[in-house]
Amino acid sequence: MISGTREGPQSGAPRLIPFGGGKGGVGKTFVAANLATTLAKAGHRVVAVDGDLEGANLHTALGVTRPRNSVAEYAAEREEDVRKLLEETPIPNLRLIAATRPNLANPQPSHALRVRFVRALRTLDADFVFIDLGAGADSTVMDYFMVCDDGVVVIAPEPTSVENAYAFMRAAFYRRLKLSMISTDVRKVIALAMDERNERGIRTPLDLLREVKTLDTEEAHRFVEVMRAFRPRIIVNDVRSAEDIRLGFSVRSVCRKYFAIDAEYLGYVNHDAAARASVRARRPLVDSDPRSDAAVYLARIARKLIAPRVGACAGAAAGFAQRGEGEQSPTRGPV
Amino acid sequence: MKPLTEQDYYETLDVARSANPEDIERAYRLACDTYREDSIAGYPVFEVGDVELLRERIEIAYRILVDPETRRAYDLELSAQAFEAPVRAGAASAAGEEVSARPAAAVLAPLDAFDELEEAEGDWTGARLRRARLRQGIELDDITRITKVNPTYLAFIEDERFDGLPAAVYVRGFVTGYAGCLGLDAKRVAASYLQRYEERKGGSKRRLFARK
Repeated sequence: MISGTREGPQSGAPRLIPFGGGKGGVGKTFVAANLATTLAKAGHRVVAVDGDLEGANLHTALGVTRPRNSVAEYAAEREEDVRKLLEETPIPNLRLIAATRPNLANPQPSHALRVRFVRALRTLDADFVFIDLGAGADSTVMDYFMVCDDGVVVIAPEPTSVENAYAFMRAAFYRRLKLSMISTDVRKVIALAMDERNERGIRTPLDLLREVKTLDTEEAHRFVEVMRAFRPRIIVNDVRSAEDIRLGFSVRSVCRKYFAIDAEYLGYVNHDAAARASVRARRPLVDSDPRSDAAVYLARIARKLIAPRVGACAGAAAGFAQRGEGEQSPTRGPV
Repeated sequence: MKPLTEQDYYETLDVARSANPEDIERAYRLACDTYREDSIAGYPVFEVGDVELLRERIEIAYRILVDPETRRAYDLELSAQAFEAPVRAGAASAAGEEVSARPAAAVLAPLDAFDELEEAEGDWTGARLRRARLRQGIELDDITRITKVNPTYLAFIEDERFDGLPAAVYVRGFVTGYAGCLGLDAKRVAASYLQRYEERKGGSKRRLFARK
């Protein structure tokens, strides 16, 4: 077992939970805003961070019309203190870091700044910090998804969304692997494997593991550890039929068989006209209409979301921190 | 996790060694669904040849495991293999085994995995009926096949569109059939639902009356 729950609310530091999924429009912001609200209403201290500098709308979903501050200030290095970016929302216990008014010429903070930003988030006085990610799977998105091993992947029951979700999880997994490996040779092989049409015929992480084993047994051991710890969690949004619900199980099966990724199916949110109405009203559904069908589903997911994790975090600690200017990796202990 | 070709039948179907026949049936249906040609979940990753191979393996695994006799024989074979297999050296391969030994129960949680979180009591509303149905992975058409109730009425029951529904005596029958399909306490569910129906219908009638 790998010692987990390092960031549990009890230990002081907040637990960071990113919401990604690759495709835009699948409901990442809706799901993140509502889960954050659910937890806040249950008495947890939650900070919702908008990680989408080029398409910010978490503030709108949470009913904050004109945020005074923004991650953009941090990106432009006009504000150094992340705590000063915090904004109250209409929901008690729930604060927001918005991402409005970016400098369109250069919206994204540099990698070093992103690392510093994440580290600052970990020091916030809160139980949970949710990060709502933008679409895509490039490094500006992935750096935030890498804050833990069990980030949330939101899927809509459509082929396009599923396709992007696979690409997203695959990208996350290889990135995590590459960051966790020390040997240059091994890193090279991983970089090679990240190209889907590589000459060596490495198609799955298991093929890759075989290659790594021939290079370095110790690295192979680490590889397996990262593989085991990496557990993205899937939410299927806007389901209309039992078939849509089964999609989550199918995606999990494909992840296991084709990518050797052990994803977890966290739950599904039913299609509900009340959800659309709440978006229009710019209020989280669980706040405006807590008895609606979709709100009940969201409440279920919220409970599962914060349930104690079964051994996690080793990869996360190793991966992101290593590049993060020598942040101490807390779990290199006995395995 | 192991490459497909090295997986035993249980791993191929993603079920625990202790899986009961229903688990196996459910896992098989899910696997068929997932790895059929036009599957939403599968098509982005399928390549020519490999999915056929996988389907074949799933089929064989199911055939063996669904029949108690062949399953028993296979289990014996597996335990014999485990007994004979030399202890493999090397930390990496040992750790690799562990990956596949992930809590078997969680490997294929049935569709009612969220059951424990469901509200235990309260009124049977249309939305609650729908949640119970979806949790079991049952489509409205499935209920129609059994109860012969028009799926439009079933949808109206879930949406509580009482104006579109016939007289109470029919609705009671529909809901009873619906609840029976889900293995619910049909009498109790129907009584609870009908109470809502009567209240709402009665309410609107009273309003109509009052206006006159």
